[in-house]
Amino acid sequence: MEGNAIAFFGVALGLGLVVIGAGLGIGKLAAGAAEGIARQPSAADKITGAVNLPLFLLEGVAILAEVFALLIVLLK
Amino acid sequence: MLGQEHAQELGEHATEAAGKFDAGKTIIEHVSNSSVEHPLLHLPTLFGINFSVTKHVLMLWLVAAFVFFVVTLTVRKFLKQDRPIPTGFMNALEALVEFIRDSIALPNVGKKWVNTWTPLLLTFFVFIFCANAIGLIPVFEVVGIVDHFVLHTGEHSFLKQLLHGGTTATSNFNVTAALAVITFVSIITAGSKAHGFVQHWKNMVPHGLAWPLYFLLIPIEIMGMLVRPFALTMRLAANMTGGHIAILAILSFVFLFTEMFGQAIAGVGVGLAVSVPLATAISGLEIIVVLVQAYVFTLLSAVFIGMAIHVHH
Repeated sequence: MEGNAIAFFGVALGLGLVVIGAGLGIGKLAAGAAEGIARQPSAADKITGAVNLPLFLLEGVAILAEVFALLIVLLK
Repeated sequence: MLGQEHAQELGEHATEAAGKFDAGKTIIEHVSNSSVEHPLLHLPTLFGINFSVTKHVLMLWLVAAFVFFVVTLTVRKFLKQDRPIPTGFMNALEALVEFIRDSIALPNVGKKWVNTWTPLLLTFFVFIFCANAIGLIPVFEVVGIVDHFVLHTGEHSFLKQLLHGGTTATSNFNVTAALAVITFVSIITAGSKAHGFVQHWKNMVPHGLAWPLYFLLIPIEIMGMLVRPFALTMRLAANMTGGHIAILAILSFVFLFTEMFGQAIAGVGVGLAVSVPLATAISGLEIIVVLVQAYVFTLLSAVFIGMAIHVHH
């Protein structure tokens, strides 16, 4: 039972850290994209296209972390 | 006497027959596949693979039939018309094809291979989008209500068995793993068609490095090659399950509050004030997620296929 409590605590802490990481990463991407579009509005489409891929890769990393956290919780 | 008091408490609560409301079990039941031991249609086990039809298999077939008939009938009707400019649904379909060909396939795969790989990418996009979206429509829940109040079918009828499990076929990681395997095979096929089978494998590591480096690079490249389809799998499956779990968890508040206070009005109040608006907002978010995840799967498949065709190191 104690082992379980530590597992839950670890999972919760880990998920919080993952959310911080993903939030910082996506925020930086969005900031870079906004600044780029502000400097050169004509390149808005290209910049959006370039930002799309890393955005979803990063979101995928966060989702992967959620999946492993759920695995730890459910498989004990 | 203690048993009698306990029984009385249970009787006072909103749920009559089931007892305590197990939120975890209910949520998992609504998101996972129907039970493998009691499938919808029992088929034999060939070569160690159980071919029985479960709910997700049924949804796969329904989505495939839906996509097939909608797209084929639309295109046939348009072709019979003999007009060069499409209208209505065919117009939307053509816009979709052009979007995927021009902004997903062409920049990644290059002009030479666009016509080879656009059909596959289109299939991915349309199938995944429809499978995701059909998971948001509560058809089986409505069937369950009709069955509960009108039809009263037996305990183990086919209709009752249809109600177990979730409707989103792509929330099952086996389904998304199959799609990722298709991508995996497509990457190897694309590289082989462009450069030849052996040269494709030689392209994975840069040329002309000192030979000890290859001992490090080759395992890393092989791991990268395997991790990418795995990430595709988990990304799609987890995004689909996560949204549904969030909605179900919020709607469970109604029942949890009812149990906590022992009166139905507590649950209804929480439902009206918190649960239903929040669940509606998350459902709206889910619609965006459905579209985005189909787009991302297609885009990443196109990027990986393009990486196999245009090798830059």
